[in-house]
Amino acid sequence: MSLLQTLIVRGLSLLVVLITVLFLCVIVLGATGYSDRLLTATVSEELRGLRQSLSQNIRDPNELEQVIEDRREQLIEFYGLDQPWYYRLPDMVFRILTLDLGEARTLRSFSGSNSVSDIVLERLPNTIILITSATIITSVIGLYVGVKIATQVGSRLERSVSYFSAISYALPAWWLGIIFIILFAFQLRILPSSGMFSVPPPTEPLARFLDRLVHAILPVFTLVIVSVGSWSYAVRTMVLNISQEDFVNVARAKGLSENLVMRRHIIRVAAPPIVTSLILGLTGSLGGAILTETVFGWPGMGRLYYEAILAADESVIVALTFMFTLLYVVARFILEILYIVLDPRVRYK
Amino acid sequence: MNNNSRENLQEFFSSGSGKIGSVLLVIFILISVFVVFTYPLNFGTTVWSNPAYWSDYPKSAPPTWTNIFGNDNVDHQIIDFTTPADTVSISNREVRTYTHRFTYDSNISPTFLSLSLYDVVYHDRPPTISLSILRPDNEEILIYREIISPPRPGEDGPYVRYSDSPFRINLSGDKSVSSNLVGYIRDNSNEQISINEIIGSNEKVIFSNLDSLQFDEILTGEYELIVRFTVNNENDSISKIRFVLGGSSYGLLGTDSLGRNLSVGLLFGFPIALLIGLTTSTITTFIGTTMGIISGYTGGRTDTIIQRLSDTLSNIPLLPILLFLIFVFGPQLWLVMTILVLFGWPGLTIIIRSMVLQINSSQSIEAAKSLGASKWRIMYRHIFPQLAPFIFAQLVFFTPAAILAEASLSFLGLGDPSIPTWGQILENGFRTGGVYIGYWWWILPPGLLIVITAMIFVFIALALEPVVNPKLKKM
Repeated sequence: MSLLQTLIVRGLSLLVVLITVLFLCVIVLGATGYSDRLLTATVSEELRGLRQSLSQNIRDPNELEQVIEDRREQLIEFYGLDQPWYYRLPDMVFRILTLDLGEARTLRSFSGSNSVSDIVLERLPNTIILITSATIITSVIGLYVGVKIATQVGSRLERSVSYFSAISYALPAWWLGIIFIILFAFQLRILPSSGMFSVPPPTEPLARFLDRLVHAILPVFTLVIVSVGSWSYAVRTMVLNISQEDFVNVARAKGLSENLVMRRHIIRVAAPPIVTSLILGLTGSLGGAILTETVFGWPGMGRLYYEAILAADESVIVALTFMFTLLYVVARFILEILYIVLDPRVRYK
Repeated sequence: MNNNSRENLQEFFSSGSGKIGSVLLVIFILISVFVVFTYPLNFGTTVWSNPAYWSDYPKSAPPTWTNIFGNDNVDHQIIDFTTPADTVSISNREVRTYTHRFTYDSNISPTFLSLSLYDVVYHDRPPTISLSILRPDNEEILIYREIISPPRPGEDGPYVRYSDSPFRINLSGDKSVSSNLVGYIRDNSNEQISINEIIGSNEKVIFSNLDSLQFDEILTGEYELIVRFTVNNENDSISKIRFVLGGSSYGLLGTDSLGRNLSVGLLFGFPIALLIGLTTSTITTFIGTTMGIISGYTGGRTDTIIQRLSDTLSNIPLLPILLFLIFVFGPQLWLVMTILVLFGWPGLTIIIRSMVLQINSSQSIEAAKSLGASKWRIMYRHIFPQLAPFIFAQLVFFTPAAILAEASLSFLGLGDPSIPTWGQILENGFRTGGVYIGYWWWILPPGLLIVITAMIFVFIALALEPVVNPKLKKM
């Protein structure tokens, strides 16, 4: 039961984060007049549709204008445009939650829809693919390298990894991406420079999958490089801290093989803090994904951010800010579950 | 205590990363000081973002030193005429002739030609200016002739022209220049070409062998520029005539597509980057530390509130919220820094609090309490000093984060347009398609500078680690 309780508490605190971001967005939008503009645009869009459908039935222009004017007043009242913005807070929060943000100004989805939710949701899977594969590869390499260098402190490998981790912390993902494009796409000509598919995209499923894989190599590799260094170093430090504990010495004194000590006594104990550090690195990889997608023209939500900024499309930006926070909260929750699975103290409290 | 700090300093400098970091930091600070004293304060608006300032620079030119790799290249030449070589009076007119000889031995034509007139003053009738070029084939071609604008109705002499800003003629794209060249070719070879064929690339015609009329073979050799300034009153004057022969490479770091000298812009980035990094991290560390100590020492409801607040804030993904807020409020540098502080302090507060909780139970604090020290005195005199080395390391470690965050934001197109930063220069290059066209001199240096700056602080932080955390020293 306490397991469930812990999960609920963690979940609730993440929910608080989500709601804080939502309210922050809404308050900022309201106070700066953005929400008024957003709603006015929605109202006039609905009226335009109404005028089109009515003009076939109502011949008299005066009557038509009257009907539309009535409808306009209804809509203004419905959306609360006749009240100051702070009365509309709950309504706006709900609209963002359901991505009911009307139509984008110039951006379109791949299928041509201009509804904000279509545009954003269509790109969500692409971002998730990129972040998940990069995170998994980073974790695996980081764990392997981190544990390895923890056993050989002071060696050349250990020192070069710590220098590499310093460099990778200082490397902006987007700049590294640009270097990779120049190097691999233009100098060596072995990998595509941008996009998710070749032009024209292959139709056969296997060829399509391989094509996407080839296009994903550079973006994923970029994300891995910028985070793997500091992550290996974090793993190394945590493993080191635990390998100095008494119970590890006892295990060694019992004559257990070094391999067994590492697996059963060190890594098992180091796992929860390692997951914690993965959790802390999550905001960083989200930001990294936004920039990497921009550089590589990867059609995910991050690239959409860049496009929305260039097109000054505020409703898309609001939707993206919410979606990225949601993505973070969900990913974080999954890691919290992992943490609980790994840390028996939480489970058997 | 003094002895101890000297030991720490020795420890710090004994590591390679500490040495490299400190030397680079000193260099960066010196460059920043130089920039602060030599650049105008409003450099961004009056110089960098002012296209007129850069009109006489070659566009998208690679650095000059790339010529050693065997690229054929035209040197950028600025020729200023201030004193006439010869003055001839005919009746009541005076012709002042300015000349300049130069050797042109490149096999490609200049990228552009321009002529600028500075400060013309005349007394009765407007003077005339003409530019001719004497080519190696001993033919003199008239390129440009202009009568300075006549007095406006009601204007009294002496008439002053072009004193605020020079009058610049883009000779490469000027229609009258094309028409002069067409006339010259017609008179010399009886070939008729149209103005539209050559307008925009007049410089090619001027510097090519005119036998072929393809204008693709450069005529190398000795050229002479001849500028004639004809006045009707001997008191008439012109302060300077500038002729620019646009080169195909420029300076130490080349130019961007607007002709901006990249080394000038990148230099300006030094103090800005340090300002962003150090200011943001100092304020963040200050707030984070204060909140952490208060939260950990006072406990109770204050502690709960601070902990809830910092839990929530530190959990918000930074880049999306930063993008959103800057998009709504507009791209201003101080706002970026404020937001970075706002979302940056909670992480430190959480760590500091847990450290304070450990210190709280120590005997020294108990002793201070029993001696009747006030709450604030204990926090300031007894808790803070124990944390100080760690806090300093955090300050150093947070500095690159702020620099990188600003650069990322600029790269996504939300940089403060009035203050050029490395991130913005890189973004300009990226948006212009510099990556695909191959303007590496526009893309690599700003990124490299960001990386080096961030690295300086990471190295220093690395060297500080054994000083701050002696446990790691033993290993």
